[in-house]
Amino acid sequence: MAKNGQTQNVTIRVQRFNPDVDAKPYLASYEIEATADTTLLDALEQIKATLDGSLTFRRSCRHAICGSCAMNVNGRNMLVCNRRVNALLDRRGRVTIRPLPYLPIIKDLVVDRTSFWEQYLRVKPWLIPPENGAAPAGEYRVLPAEVEALKMAETCIMCGACYSACQVVAMNKQYIGPHALLKAFLRVLDPRDAAPAERLEIVGGDDGVFRCHTIFNCIDACPKGLDPTFAIETLRKLAQKRLAFAAERVERQKSLGTGRDA
Amino acid sequence: MTYITGLAHEETITHDVLVVGAGLAGSWAAMTASQQGVRDIGVLSKLHPLRSHSGAAQGGIAAALNNVRPVADSGSRGPLEPVPPGDEPPDSWELHMFDTIKGSDWLGDQDAIELMVRQAPEIIYEYERMGCVFSRLADGRIAQRRFGGHSMPRANYAADYTGHVLLHTIHEQALKQGVTFYSEWYCMDLVVEDNVCRGLVALDVVSGKLHLMRAKAVVFATGGYGRAWKITSNATANTGDGVAIAYNAGVPLMDMEFVQFHPTGLYGKGILMSEACRGEGGYLRNKSGERFMERYAPDKMELAPRDLVSRSEQTEIEEGRGVGADGQGVFLDLTHLGAEKIMQRLPQVHELALDFTGVDIIEAPVPIQPTAHYSMGGIPTDARCQVLADAANTPVVGFYAAGECACVSVHGANRLGTNSLLDASVFGRQAGTAVAEFVLGGAPMQPVDGDPVARNKARIARYVNGRTAHNPQPVTPIAAELKETMTKNVGVFRQQARLQTALHTIKELQDRFADVQIMDKGARFNTDLLAALETEHLLTFSEVIVVSALARTESRGAHFRTDYNKRDDEKWLKHTLAHKDGPHAPRLSYKDVTIFYDRFPPQERKY
Ligand SMILES: Cc1cc2nc3c(=O)[nH]c(=O)nc-3n(C[C@H](O)[C@H](O)[C@H](O)COP(=O)(O)OP(=O)(O)OC[C@H]3O[C@@H](n4cnc5c(N)ncnc54)[C@H](O)[C@@H]3O)c2cc1C
Ligand code: SF4
Ligand code: FES
Repeated sequence: MAKNGQTQNVTIRVQRFNPDVDAKPYLASYEIEATADTTLLDALEQIKATLDGSLTFRRSCRHAICGSCAMNVNGRNMLVCNRRVNALLDRRGRVTIRPLPYLPIIKDLVVDRTSFWEQYLRVKPWLIPPENGAAPAGEYRVLPAEVEALKMAETCIMCGACYSACQVVAMNKQYIGPHALLKAFLRVLDPRDAAPAERLEIVGGDDGVFRCHTIFNCIDACPKGLDPTFAIETLRKLAQKRLAFAAERVERQKSLGTGRDA
Repeated sequence: MTYITGLAHEETITHDVLVVGAGLAGSWAAMTASQQGVRDIGVLSKLHPLRSHSGAAQGGIAAALNNVRPVADSGSRGPLEPVPPGDEPPDSWELHMFDTIKGSDWLGDQDAIELMVRQAPEIIYEYERMGCVFSRLADGRIAQRRFGGHSMPRANYAADYTGHVLLHTIHEQALKQGVTFYSEWYCMDLVVEDNVCRGLVALDVVSGKLHLMRAKAVVFATGGYGRAWKITSNATANTGDGVAIAYNAGVPLMDMEFVQFHPTGLYGKGILMSEACRGEGGYLRNKSGERFMERYAPDKMELAPRDLVSRSEQTEIEEGRGVGADGQGVFLDLTHLGAEKIMQRLPQVHELALDFTGVDIIEAPVPIQPTAHYSMGGIPTDARCQVLADAANTPVVGFYAAGECACVSVHGANRLGTNSLLDASVFGRQAGTAVAEFVLGGAPMQPVDGDPVARNKARIARYVNGRTAHNPQPVTPIAAELKETMTKNVGVFRQQARLQTALHTIKELQDRFADVQIMDKGARFNTDLLAALETEHLLTFSEVIVVSALARTESRGAHFRTDYNKRDDEKWLKHTLAHKDGPHAPRLSYKDVTIFYDRFPPQERKY
């Protein structure tokens, strides 16, 4: 293993495919120099800059917050910007990078996320605020514990690693999918949202939470350590007492303008 | 409510309003214009909107909400407490205004600053009502923390991923409004004729097709230009396309020499460790463990503004007290904060240090260095985001700009942390209001002469085929050499000879760039082509930065000249405008700063 500052030769195998030219995807091998700090993204950039400028992948933030760079590495979905080459070498000193599985390939490591975004839009990701003029002069009062419960969903970066690891998605593109169910969870649990009944109807329907087979692939794949399965299980329970939950929400919203303790 | 991507045919697309950029500024502009009755709005973004760099912002967004105050007599770094309901509000927009003006080293335009700080609380409440999950006090009010250069705790935050939640919230609201998003479309040219904006040319990245896009009004919200430096906190998308495109279309660029270097970028990588690290009480230490800020800002210490802290670090480094393999870093020490506070308030920062350097900040200090971070300069606008063509404030009809690509100027020579998310939000909304008035007031679709698409096809063909068969130049080394020279010669400390070296190198690189040839020859998702376009833009505005910096023979805010180390109000209390015209472009002209001399006259800036 390379120590700080030392370089080491490694082999990066990348699945290439340009539908305009290639009959089918193939693996290409590139030799590069890596240090202990070289990330998978650094490696791809190095290949593109020095060996083959046509190698195509998405990236932007370089620090695991924009969600661009999810790929399949040695058979597992992950972000490539925050993982070091060194830690992912197989026994023969190689790393193998493929596009996210089960999605159409646009070119090389760039996949078509159309169905992913369609499902996101389907759950109405935006907050639907109370209509009754409960809007206070300042902020709605949301308690720290309520915020804490949302944390698990609010840090999702929509990278698609979970979606493309999900066996149910692989079989059925109608399934809403872990990312969009997590978003639905965020809105359903938000005390400021006025449409939990409608939301629970969508996620409790044919393409929603009851399709999940709890295989837990999404949890393994998530680079942000989130737990879409927990969200799905919570939504299942709430879907079963949809109207009672909506009634509780109406009650809760009565004190939104002032806070419970105030 | 759609994402359009990969159109099969080349076409002319028209909208009432076109917004370029889907970060906070672009999304606010689109959402607001839609709310005010403009029906037909298109937003282009070279990344999927949720990938925009606004999402990387960590620390907070400023507004004097008066939810929190310092405990009495506990000093400028002491503990905070909630303001009991009914108590005298400790903070005010006037204080926020003064801090911003002082931070700007008096180069900020005070009319625009006043507008921004007065709208600040309302913008936060609006985010909150739209579903943004802020961190909270026990009674449910929004929590606030300290930030450098602000005399009161007025940074409103969601842990250390504030930008992420703001961006997702506003994007979703724009979707709800029915805005059409052209996702992964790259704007490569702007059509301005006779000072009237007529539309733009865009490359649909997935298909590789070029489209003429016409609109009654165009808003640029393309973000910053930190990618011209090797060590930077900026995303790879922050290549200053918007400023370069506007400049090429004949619009001047304002105050481009002012670039903020953030004091705490991860050593060797530039990735940001939020200022919240110091806001929450972190220390900076040199090689021998000394808290060196004692020597530079004995009162504010680590919470002095960014330009000052970065210069202090650089001085430590240059005088041999740095850390790291090449001595180019100093330590950020958070170990005394304890695991609980770190995991509660700085979870992202904790993970970043661990992932990229292997350091657990709970246990050990992490090496950091100044990193190119924020672009104060940009496309000149008035407070309604109307783009201006010259020092006489002649408008470029139908062209608006907001956010980091614009220069209103609220940040002047140095931006305070948390003021730019505020800037992007407030002025994004202003731009939305202004274009709505313009369009609903009967603005016509303007004719386009000539064939701008053909012009840009020729530009692409030149990259694909190379100008001449011999001596084709690859793109990446040119970009790399530019970044190297900008980091070395146009950084925290500047000086005539070094700036001249940089200018010389840039000209040489521009010559080499004329012979560029890309490796990817296909139409489909050609990121090699994008890199060439972006590098051309980097070379264009970097020259403007250096020429503007050479001319400004004083030190103000983030622009520090070791050969002219004093602020010189007599000669330089004015904005730089760089124009692309005549044989000696950039040609510089200057413009007065808007100052309310009765209320906020220039003073010495001391912390
Ligand atoms: C790491 C980091 C942390 C930060 N933390 C804070 C903070 O805590 N508080 C604070 O106030 N500020 C912070 N900032 C600054 C702040 O995030 C930015 O100034 C602000 O988000 C800019 O918003 P914007 O809408 O102008 O641009 P961006 O969010 O950068 O959006 C630019 C948009 O333009 C699009 N675009 C660009 N070029 C083209 C083109 N040619 N064609 C089509 N589309 C294009 C992009 O796709 C993107 O959608 C931080 C900055 C960084 C780098
Ligand atoms: S839940 Fe995790 S894996 Fe799925 S989209 Fe969100 S961040 Fe990515
Ligand atoms: S580049 Fe943004 S998440 Fe990896």
